[in-house]
Amino acid sequence: MLRNVFTKSLWDQRRSLSGWAAGVALLVLLEAALWPSVRGMAGFDELLNSYPQAMRELFNLQDFTTGRGFLNAELYSMVLPVLFVVFGIGRGARAVAGEEEAGTLEVLLVTPVSTTRLVLQQAAVLATATAALGAVLFAAVIASSPVFGLGIGVADAATGSLSMVLIGIEFGFLALAIGAATGRRAAAIGAAATAALAAYLLYAIGQLTDPVRPWLPLSPFHQALEGGPLGAGLPAAYAWMALAAAVVVAAALPVFERRDIAAH
Amino acid sequence: MDAVISTVGLAKSYHGRPALLGIDLDVPPGVFGYLGPNGAGKTTTIRLLAGLMRPTAGRARVFGLDTVLDRERVQLRIGYLPGMFVAYPRMTGEQYLRYLAGLRDGVDWSVAEALAKRLDLDLGRRIGALSHGNKQKVGIVQAFMHRPDLLILDEPTSGLDPLVQHEFLGMVREARDEGRTVFLSSHVLSEVEAVADTVAMLRAGRLVVVESVQHLKARALRRIDLTFEGPPPLAALRAATGVRDAHPADRTVQVVIEGSAADLLQAAAPHRVSRIVTHEPDLEEIFLDYYQKRA
Repeated sequence: MLRNVFTKSLWDQRRSLSGWAAGVALLVLLEAALWPSVRGMAGFDELLNSYPQAMRELFNLQDFTTGRGFLNAELYSMVLPVLFVVFGIGRGARAVAGEEEAGTLEVLLVTPVSTTRLVLQQAAVLATATAALGAVLFAAVIASSPVFGLGIGVADAATGSLSMVLIGIEFGFLALAIGAATGRRAAAIGAAATAALAAYLLYAIGQLTDPVRPWLPLSPFHQALEGGPLGAGLPAAYAWMALAAAVVVAAALPVFERRDIAAH
Repeated sequence: MDAVISTVGLAKSYHGRPALLGIDLDVPPGVFGYLGPNGAGKTTTIRLLAGLMRPTAGRARVFGLDTVLDRERVQLRIGYLPGMFVAYPRMTGEQYLRYLAGLRDGVDWSVAEALAKRLDLDLGRRIGALSHGNKQKVGIVQAFMHRPDLLILDEPTSGLDPLVQHEFLGMVREARDEGRTVFLSSHVLSEVEAVADTVAMLRAGRLVVVESVQHLKARALRRIDLTFEGPPPLAALRAATGVRDAHPADRTVQVVIEGSAADLLQAAAPHRVSRIVTHEPDLEEIFLDYYQKRA
């Protein structure tokens, strides 16, 4: 069963992945359960209009009157992307750098597993695990929608999950790449988290200030969240996220292949 | 026969600090002991040979393949035990070994089982729960189980109790008898002496000597205590070929001699020798001797 790096690493993650899945499902359930009472609030529209324009744009408050808009604002604009990014970075940093720091990489690399094959298999593990978490998110939204009257269709839930998976993979691959290039987990986490924070700041500031607005499309958060993600359809920006993820991993391959593996 | 390992000017620095200063080494088939104190550069050499690092200068070939350019092909043919072997603590010995066996094609699982049994290793326990010695056994099994042409073992006996060490040395001899090569490093000289055909001594990043164990012992200084019935003929003993030193203590003379003792015994015989005690030199003494000469 555990005959290659891919299956072995997925097997290693089975417990933590179940934990994350349960957490995400619970979060969706709790948020969805709030919807009926939010919808029924008297004077809700007035309350929304009393928020500053900037906040209404950042959290898509103008759409708050529909179940879709509610979930976009409450879950998909901040909490879920952050969770998926944290999930991706943690796994990406551990995949190569964590194993190198633990000392188990030495024996692993003196087998037919090359540095390149290791990184590619770990990237596949990360993508699979993130996609599994995305599938759980999808299922939780689809299941909650009729119960709480959110009115969210299959297509909406699918693109919502896809954008979360892509942003998780993008920063996860970045952490994997930095870990493979440096062999240091802290560097991988630090650099990837900094990049994610910078991308989010660009997204937030770009929403609020006109001079920064033209740069917005550069932010993965903008690429993931623009116009939705529930109800955004399949924007071309998703392809950019996948491409960026592939490029950072590809860039790390020759560096990892040429550098010394740290002794324990 | 062709050298299994061959290095030319192999050097390695870490951030500008030299660890290995240009080593020319040819390792013939058989058991090769790589000796030196801690920090001499043994692990650095071994990790270069295993393809885990790139040399700063020079190069190394294993089976004629460059360890940098042909890294993957070299790694297919070696079994490697790192100086600090670490396995996944949450896996059992069997899970770990089956995992590695799956990565390498064509491992006969019964070989791994037999090795584990021989070393008295319980494969059903989680590696994290094993003692240091038992973890080391897992490392030894993974290095041997695919029956590689070359075993590169960094301080393999560390943490093993004497009985298991004995078993391990038996495994090394068998590998040699099957025509495979074992390159093992150590700072415990007696174990290498018992099993190695050739030894190299390394010190401060340089090779001090490469010699067959037989040769080394023949050339080594040995101590012979001669006890005479009468007063010892000190001057005649000191004049004999090969004698480096002669210390009288009552009627006994402690002689330090290099090479053949023929001339010494001829000089001593007319003076009625009542007792001869010879001390077989071990590598430890030879080793120190080499160091002192170079120092």
